[in-house]
Amino acid sequence: MSHTGKPGGSPPASRRRRSRPPQGQERAAGEAAEEEEEAAAEEEAAADERFRQLSIGDGDDREHNRMIRSQYRELISTVQQNREAMLNSKSNRLTEALEEANRLFDGVCRAREAALDAHFLVIASNIGKEKASELHSEMSAFDSTAFAEDLLTFMGINRTEVEETDDSEDVPDGFLPTDAWQKIGEASSKYFRRAPTFHYMMGSFKSEPPVPKQRIERQKKASRGKAERAMPAQLKKMEESHQEATEKEVERILRILQTHFEDDPDTPISFFDFVIDPNSFARTVENVFHVSFLTRDGLAKIKLDEDELPVIEPIKPSEAGEEDSRDGARNQVVISLNQKEWKEIIEVFQIREAMITPPYQTTEEEMETE
Amino acid sequence: MSQRKRSKGLGCSQLPDGEDDFIPTQVERRSQEQVNQKVSELVQFLLVKDQKKIPIKRADILKNIIREYRDVYSEIIKRADRTLQEVFGLQLVEIDVKRHMYILINNLPCAEGEHLCGGKEKEKMGLLLVILSFIFMKGNSVKDSALWEFLHQLRVYPGKQHSVFGDVRKLVTEEFVRQKYLETTAIPLTDPPEFKFQWGPRAENETSKKDVLNFVAKMQGKDPKFWASQYSEANKATT
Repeated sequence: MSHTGKPGGSPPASRRRRSRPPQGQERAAGEAAEEEEEAAAEEEAAADERFRQLSIGDGDDREHNRMIRSQYRELISTVQQNREAMLNSKSNRLTEALEEANRLFDGVCRAREAALDAHFLVIASNIGKEKASELHSEMSAFDSTAFAEDLLTFMGINRTEVEETDDSEDVPDGFLPTDAWQKIGEASSKYFRRAPTFHYMMGSFKSEPPVPKQRIERQKKASRGKAERAMPAQLKKMEESHQEATEKEVERILRILQTHFEDDPDTPISFFDFVIDPNSFARTVENVFHVSFLTRDGLAKIKLDEDELPVIEPIKPSEAGEEDSRDGARNQVVISLNQKEWKEIIEVFQIREAMITPPYQTTEEEMETE
Repeated sequence: MSQRKRSKGLGCSQLPDGEDDFIPTQVERRSQEQVNQKVSELVQFLLVKDQKKIPIKRADILKNIIREYRDVYSEIIKRADRTLQEVFGLQLVEIDVKRHMYILINNLPCAEGEHLCGGKEKEKMGLLLVILSFIFMKGNSVKDSALWEFLHQLRVYPGKQHSVFGDVRKLVTEEFVRQKYLETTAIPLTDPPEFKFQWGPRAENETSKKDVLNFVAKMQGKDPKFWASQYSEANKATT
């Protein structure tokens, strides 16, 4: 509008320039000088006129302006609503709208209405730009419908079957197979230089596995705890029974020995007579084992008599202290006994009864002496 | 495949510090081993980040990998790019110089068949190629209404769940846009607001107008020269 450099431009001059935008650009340069002189004179006249208009009573102006504003708004909404229609290259509606706006501008004398005019101008020029771009793309016409049809054919559409669809508006007939888009996808991969996505083969490190492990550990601990709790009780019992049995047995044997010796204090008892049980070899071995405890603890002693046969006699408590202090008083002896020898001893010594009675017999029998 | 003109080269974006001149001496300050370590970490980082095909931001790279090695940033990036090219056949491209975003593209010519693609990747690329073709053939920019009208003919509707693509509107307007395959801008002064679609920077790097024109020609059984202006435009881009 102001390519000649004039700031305001009286309405008639600007209108002239607006209605011939294509040619105006070229001729403007040459005509600029002439027009400037012309317009300068006109401007003075127009300014006077405008001043006169403004000084007219406010009442008329308000009504007049309101009408102009409503007309502009109507024009703007019409243009916006019919945008699609205007874009049609065959339509002249945009030009008509421009001319209408030009006409309206005649009555504009305030900024408020001029602002609406500017608003309209922006919308109109946007549409104009779109129309121009559509002109360009239609140079080598691209028939998108034909392209779509060809794509469907490539996807393997079956046009003989008619598909029943809910929205059957503008949908071409034919049945599209399920791998339709896969076909297109296969064909398209070579057109893209797409970097293949990187994935770890064994998957990424996740924090899930440790959780079950903890549970297992807890369970194990729990079960172990119970077992451990159970075990000590059992073990204690067992140990006690073992120890008790041995100790009791040793004591019992000592008593038997002492009892036998009381009867005849000066005669040591033949070792074999004492330990051997003619009825059970196993018990004999056990007796020897228990007697060894006695000798170890210094409660009995085994020595060889004139015949060089082992004899056993209890040690009196008073002697115990003296015996211990003597050097070489204690010897270690290993006695071996097998069943053959055991039987021989029984025959030779004529042992008919066991001096050490078996443990499970009653105490009364224990006290029996020959 | 002929060499393509890359829209942005590497290393042309400067760090705010503007320390490009000092890089040689600062590389010496850090041992080669340390820098190599950082390069390897960056390569791994880029490969994993590229899984979703969302452009990688320089801020993320600095925060997670580079950290105190900021001064040798461009050196590390350059070496990482070289490693990617020599070892994996991939290339690191900066698609946004202002906002500093990178993508990985394939340097090697695409082999026919034998593509390890999981999920719906292949089909999505098919749909994308169709959309990119439509946009190019229609003059590099289309209104969203025009695009949906075209896809309508292919039994793809924005409002309806698609058997293959699911929510197509989301796929096109969100996923493809976030991956920078498509770019969408609002058309001003439209009520209700309308959008226009154009090629995104990733599309411009991963494919070309010439390739897309060839695809259209192949589908329609015509010579690419049939569309004169598109043909000239496509060939202009490769020079």
